[in-house]
Amino acid sequence: MPLFRRSLHSLAGAYALDAIENPAERDRFARHLERCSSCAAEVRGYREVATAMAFAAEAEPPPAMRPLVLEAAAHTPQLPREARTHARPRGVPGRVTRTRAARTPWVPWLSGAVATVAVAVAVFFGIAQAHTQDELNQAQAENQAVSLVLSAPQARLVSQQTTAGGRATVVLDASRHELAVITSGLPALPAGKVYQLWLIGSTKITSAGLLPEAKAGRTAPVLASGVVQGDKLGLTVEPAPGSSQPTTTPILALPLPV
Amino acid sequence: MNPGDPDASRFSATAADRRGERDLDDLLIHVARGDQNAFEAVYDRLAGPVYGVIRRVLRDPSQSEEVTQEVLLEVWRNATRFDPAVGGAATWVMTIAHRRAIDRVRSATAAADREQRVADVHTPHDEVAEAVEASLDAERVRRCLDALTEVQRESITLAYYGGYSYRQVSEKLEVTLGAIKTRIRDGLIRMRDCLGVS
Repeated sequence: MPLFRRSLHSLAGAYALDAIENPAERDRFARHLERCSSCAAEVRGYREVATAMAFAAEAEPPPAMRPLVLEAAAHTPQLPREARTHARPRGVPGRVTRTRAARTPWVPWLSGAVATVAVAVAVFFGIAQAHTQDELNQAQAENQAVSLVLSAPQARLVSQQTTAGGRATVVLDASRHELAVITSGLPALPAGKVYQLWLIGSTKITSAGLLPEAKAGRTAPVLASGVVQGDKLGLTVEPAPGSSQPTTTPILALPLPV
Repeated sequence: MNPGDPDASRFSATAADRRGERDLDDLLIHVARGDQNAFEAVYDRLAGPVYGVIRRVLRDPSQSEEVTQEVLLEVWRNATRFDPAVGGAATWVMTIAHRRAIDRVRSATAAADREQRVADVHTPHDEVAEAVEASLDAERVRRCLDALTEVQRESITLAYYGGYSYRQVSEKLEVTLGAIKTRIRDGLIRMRDCLGVS
């Protein structure tokens, strides 16, 4: 099929630049690449050109991004070298990741954004800190509790330091107006005090629940719903068992990208 | 290559050497073993181009920041899948970065914004000129783009920097689909030779 071949080959450039919009057409070319090593080499060469173009477009990212990414990486397990589908979890982070991926087919293996957020958060939420089977089970249950938020195609991860130290990280599902919050490194509170989360809108402030007690400096996820445009996530120190409105200055006011 | 050119030694090196990609390959292999210091070094080397190319495609700074963070975490998480025998680390990372930016552009929610974005798109050549700073990469890329035919240059910049599909490029430039595919490919071949990509 020389004509078909030639027309398929002419797609190599568009493929290398991610310029094939039609998924069927793109997949067909990708399958062809597996069988045609000279085509694969050709695409690799074009991608090097694209890489030079990326370097030519270099721009300075906001300085705040660096600690955020490095912190998230420090708590994110890496993919095992070879994915196996029948592995059983043994409490090792890598294996847990694999199990999650197998159990949650809505995470497309290579659809980076959500999968990455899901994994980052799974670990934030305690899997990496699990040392016993019980702790692991607990962490997995917590993960399931937030899996709805995580499964959102537009799930977003935002994070900010509090003015008292430590950091709050939020996974936001804007389409369902839900979020999940975890924290790390917040200062311990004296007896009779609690951390309370708030959704701070332009006209009203509503409680988004109390932070649970920290384990190894981290708090398990708190889910909140009813997030609307313009809301910020607030965090205050309140007398136990919490207040109906904030009584102290928020140590965090994180804008939520809804 | 003119041997009298003070840059001759640089230009005779492979493209990978010029970007220090050999070191990057090693760094990424260490990242794959969970080495956070290596990841920090990879961040410092690649966050700029990753953010730059994503921002070029998406334009919106806050979306670009989000996608950049996702890409960099994906680099950490998937470093175990990096195979230096298949291609260099910089190319591996930039391929992920560009693809994620394109995914975002083509996602349903972005479709509406895109119409707006299309309206204020600059001509491709100006975009390239805009980006040119003192960097050697930018200068070389600009010079090589300048050596292309106009349709080749516009096709490549619209596709790569503009995030347009080849079908959209064909509509925009009023050239047939078959011709656009060929122009993109011919242009990339010339770029490859001009940049000295092996």
